[in-house]
Amino acid sequence: MPKAKIMVVEDDLDEAKLIKMVLEGEGYEAVCMFNGREALEKLGAEKPSLIVLDVMMPEMDGFSFCAKVKASPEHKDIPVILLTGVAKHIHDSRFPLNGVIRADADEYLEKPVQPEDLLKTIERLLQ
Amino acid sequence: MTAKSSPRPLNCWEYLECAHGPDSPDPCPATSDEHSNGINRGINGGRSCWGVVGVLSGAEILAPCALKESCPTCGFLHLVKSEEEASFQLLKLARGVDNAEELQQTITKVESFMAIHERLRSHFDLDQTISEITEEARKVTGAQRASVLFIKGKPAALHGRFGLRGKKREVEIALDETTAAGSAAINNHIVNLRDIYDQDDVGGASPFSREYDSQFECRTQSFLAAPICDPADRVIGVITLANAKKCFFSSDDQWFVEKYAVEVYLAVEKQKFIQQSISTLRLATIDETVAGLSHCIKNIAQALRTGSHIIKRALRSNNIQDIKAAWDILDRHIERLADLSMVVLDYDPIVREQTGEPSLNHLAEHVANLFKEEARARSIELTLEKGEDVDPAWLDMMDIYRCVVNLVSNALEACPLSDGSVHLSTSRSGENELCISVSDNGHGIGDLTNVTTPELFQSSKLRQGAGLGLPTIAAIVAKHNGRMEVDSSLGRGTTFRVYFSENTSRP
Repeated sequence: MPKAKIMVVEDDLDEAKLIKMVLEGEGYEAVCMFNGREALEKLGAEKPSLIVLDVMMPEMDGFSFCAKVKASPEHKDIPVILLTGVAKHIHDSRFPLNGVIRADADEYLEKPVQPEDLLKTIERLLQ
Repeated sequence: MTAKSSPRPLNCWEYLECAHGPDSPDPCPATSDEHSNGINRGINGGRSCWGVVGVLSGAEILAPCALKESCPTCGFLHLVKSEEEASFQLLKLARGVDNAEELQQTITKVESFMAIHERLRSHFDLDQTISEITEEARKVTGAQRASVLFIKGKPAALHGRFGLRGKKREVEIALDETTAAGSAAINNHIVNLRDIYDQDDVGGASPFSREYDSQFECRTQSFLAAPICDPADRVIGVITLANAKKCFFSSDDQWFVEKYAVEVYLAVEKQKFIQQSISTLRLATIDETVAGLSHCIKNIAQALRTGSHIIKRALRSNNIQDIKAAWDILDRHIERLADLSMVVLDYDPIVREQTGEPSLNHLAEHVANLFKEEARARSIELTLEKGEDVDPAWLDMMDIYRCVVNLVSNALEACPLSDGSVHLSTSRSGENELCISVSDNGHGIGDLTNVTTPELFQSSKLRQGAGLGLPTIAAIVAKHNGRMEVDSSLGRGTTFRVYFSENTSRP
């Protein structure tokens, strides 16, 4: 019985596969989605306990996806970890992205993140 | 209706709104030169002023434009040329030249001068430009030697290269009146040694004769030095001519050398402009480039960290399957990193913006310059040998550039810690085939000799020994249906030779 189901939203196949391997190695069930739109479509069916989310993706980026998840009454409680290259900046200012989108993730980790840090963050958010 | 059929085309004094027009108190010789009347439909010399202003015939009065402008760059000349089309006349048989042969020589010189001006417009390498100017100046004036010296250093002195006994030598000349070049620079005027000797006419003997030299107690020399000035009339250097023939430089030679001095100044300015443009271009794109690079590098680093984590964990549990899966991904990202570093090196506006006929030698020289500092810092002797019959080279220069950068980069990496050497050369290996060779005296890559590319680069073992970037080279060689030869022996070094067929569809 896996510890929890985690959705990995990442357009880079290699990175998605590696994160999936890390998670599965720790007993989690991991499902990979390759852009925000696909992830949003599958969210209801997959019902993940947590989402690990990349920012720069085709079709729908991580910020937009995160905003939609948090605006949805059905999914707003799913913790979201945003993997981003600008995490510090977001922490500092919580700036409105593109003037419209606000990043409302539960946690921000700056790439390249240490897998151990990612695992610790997941554990904490799932408690 | 074309401009040529207009009722009265403009004369120079009208076009330039010159204060020395025909009704002025001090009219320019062009306004009254009846011999030129009608040339290019002008009044007197009004539409052939470049040949009238007096400088070619040795007259003393110069129009202001002749003092300040280089005629070939003057808009008026180009206007007349375009208006007259096929009827355009460069010079008139006249003015101080009554000998057909001499006239023809003068015309040839002027045309040569104008041709070089046009040619230099497409150059962007200062050394090459200076070298071409000095060679033209030498030929046109019949000098034995021509040199361009620039004022630089502390204390300021004239620096340049003299051709002595077939070899170019670096020279430094003091900025004082002890030499003609120094005198021309500090006084900002042309120095023709004829003037010095003429003032000291000794007992009727002719300069250059044994009697004259003996009475004058030195050997008569023929030397001409003209200052190179910026628009504010500040001297930035000197162009010099030395004559082995027993005659002085003429007034015409003086005129030419002054014009060549202007060309040198324009070349220097052009070089500055190019450098500034490159800097601006780099600065303008740097934000975008850095952001893109940062994203790319972070993704690669993320994969490397995660992959490393998985491999460590899999090693503890002896999970070979996970090790293999993670290692395959890591391997791909190491290559991505290598490719990325080459993409950064590829960013070179000079190569991208090169116009005119493609030059493999110029490209090789550029790459050699690119790595010059790195080689010097690591005490590696980086030499370049340019093939004589290589250019124009009808190749995809951006790809070839990447290829040569990779080859030289690898060769430098392979060099020993001391007494390293890398030799880059270009040659024509067939009627439509060019060869680039890069040799190093590094550790070598085993007993692989004369191996063709596709098989060669599938070996990660070789890659480890020969440095990164070889897959890129292999891909470029394959893309251009080229071939590669590798000669290598352990401890003695490696030679890569890549052969490219020229494009058959040339402009």
